[in-house]
Amino acid sequence: MFDVEFRDLKFAYPDDPGKLILSGVDYKVNKGDFVCLLGQSGCGKSTLLRLIAGLEKSNPEELLVNGQPVTGPSLDRTMVFQDYGLFPWMTAGENICIALKQKHKDWSAAQRKELALKWMANLDLDEELFDKLPMNLSGGQRQRFATARAFALDAPLMLMDEPFGALDAVTKALLQDTVLDLWSKETENRKTVFFVTHSVDEALLLATDILVLGQAPSKIIYTHHFTPETKPTRETLYTDPDVRDLREKLTRIINEEIQEKARRAKEAREKKAAEQPRKRAGRRK
Amino acid sequence: MGSFVKKYYGVAIIAVCLVGLYVLLTDGLHVLSEFLFPSLSVLPPLVPQYIGDLLNNLKSSLFLLIIAYGLAVVTAVAAGTLIGLKSGIRRNVTPYIYAFSAVPVPLLTPYAINVAPTMQIASIFLIWLAAFWVILATTIGAVVSIDKRYLENAATLEMSSAEKLFKVVLPAASPGILTGCSVALTLSFMMLAVAEMFGATSGLAYFVQYYADFARFDLVMVGFCFTAVVLVLIMIVFDLIKGRILHWTINE
Repeated sequence: MFDVEFRDLKFAYPDDPGKLILSGVDYKVNKGDFVCLLGQSGCGKSTLLRLIAGLEKSNPEELLVNGQPVTGPSLDRTMVFQDYGLFPWMTAGENICIALKQKHKDWSAAQRKELALKWMANLDLDEELFDKLPMNLSGGQRQRFATARAFALDAPLMLMDEPFGALDAVTKALLQDTVLDLWSKETENRKTVFFVTHSVDEALLLATDILVLGQAPSKIIYTHHFTPETKPTRETLYTDPDVRDLREKLTRIINEEIQEKARRAKEAREKKAAEQPRKRAGRRK
Repeated sequence: MGSFVKKYYGVAIIAVCLVGLYVLLTDGLHVLSEFLFPSLSVLPPLVPQYIGDLLNNLKSSLFLLIIAYGLAVVTAVAAGTLIGLKSGIRRNVTPYIYAFSAVPVPLLTPYAINVAPTMQIASIFLIWLAAFWVILATTIGAVVSIDKRYLENAATLEMSSAEKLFKVVLPAASPGILTGCSVALTLSFMMLAVAEMFGATSGLAYFVQYYADFARFDLVMVGFCFTAVVLVLIMIVFDLIKGRILHWTINE
């Protein structure tokens, strides 16, 4: 339900201001889009997500959410972390309820639990798991709880940082379908979703928009928008020639970036190695 | 009952071995001085005779211990959490924490006796101080090393400061804090003994010291045994509380 606008967004971490992570990210994401961020490791995908979440500070003019600058974290922007983000000292159910308590301060504990149970059911979680500690749940169950919490909060903007990266193939596929189903069910007030992934197939399956980030200092090097008619499904993911072409294109772009990064790293190593004998000779003199 | 026996039969075996060793070194081989290490057979009859005295002294010791240790936990956890969360405060006070915590607390006994209005307050101060530094240091360390993800998660949920403190910071730091509390409790026992030996008129250490002065080493031994039982019971209670708080770290 929120649009997100990047206006030549630049970012460096405060402890290393000279090293730009993002350099000129320029794009507008429309309300209700499902945006998948692709790119090699360390290119700044998660940083971009953290900036939207307000966990890192950006220039207020360069990042606008619903037309407003991001000043800090907010319940309007829920985040689902790769490591689930559940508090291990609370039961899985309490993890949902404490989030709901922040959103609905006037609600009774019973009301919060009722909504938590509803979202647990939506994510195929048994009621008896409500009182289990996260450590006594499987990885898939933990991620379901984290996703249930995010959906229960009903935030207009959902930020998912490689949420299924650590799951096995079957659990991952089931959760992808569940998230896609829950997101697409909301026709009027559909959430805007940012989803970081390393998997081209995952991006093809989930996204309405795919953004590929180049190597750091990164910017968007490729975008693709699906219309409802062209959006792949699990059935057409490997059979549709257009999807096959797009998969190849995305894979090629990412691989070229990886090779370019490796080439630059090799050059830097060789340059450093060439400089060392000269330095040693200088010291001997 | 069966599982209890199965779980603790090792403890009983060690106890029997220790008693056996004592009997062997005293009544058996007469290696140890009979005067300083009385025969075990003379101790049981003394227990009913002096149990009232021991319990009164226990009451006095527990009073000091609970007040001083309780104060230490509250003040050190509060100060440690604040210092751990605020890097500016931490930067400024850390050198002073290093400096003051390095002073051995028993060395402060003459100052405490001189400055405090009563012996009891002096004792409470010394026990408090011994426990305070340990809990403070571990609390600061535990708060500083809280996994950033928990704090970020709390931030995205827009938790209030109080809620963040009680629902996130303290639970996340609790394993470290409780380790410090456990060490501090042992130190408090030691400091309690030191405090009761200087000018006190009651307490378990006072009981031992009093009868040692009269060379009644049979009663000294009774005092030792009684104190040991009390300490073990206190540590068991502490471990139960610790296990309850840290239930989320123990796999089912």
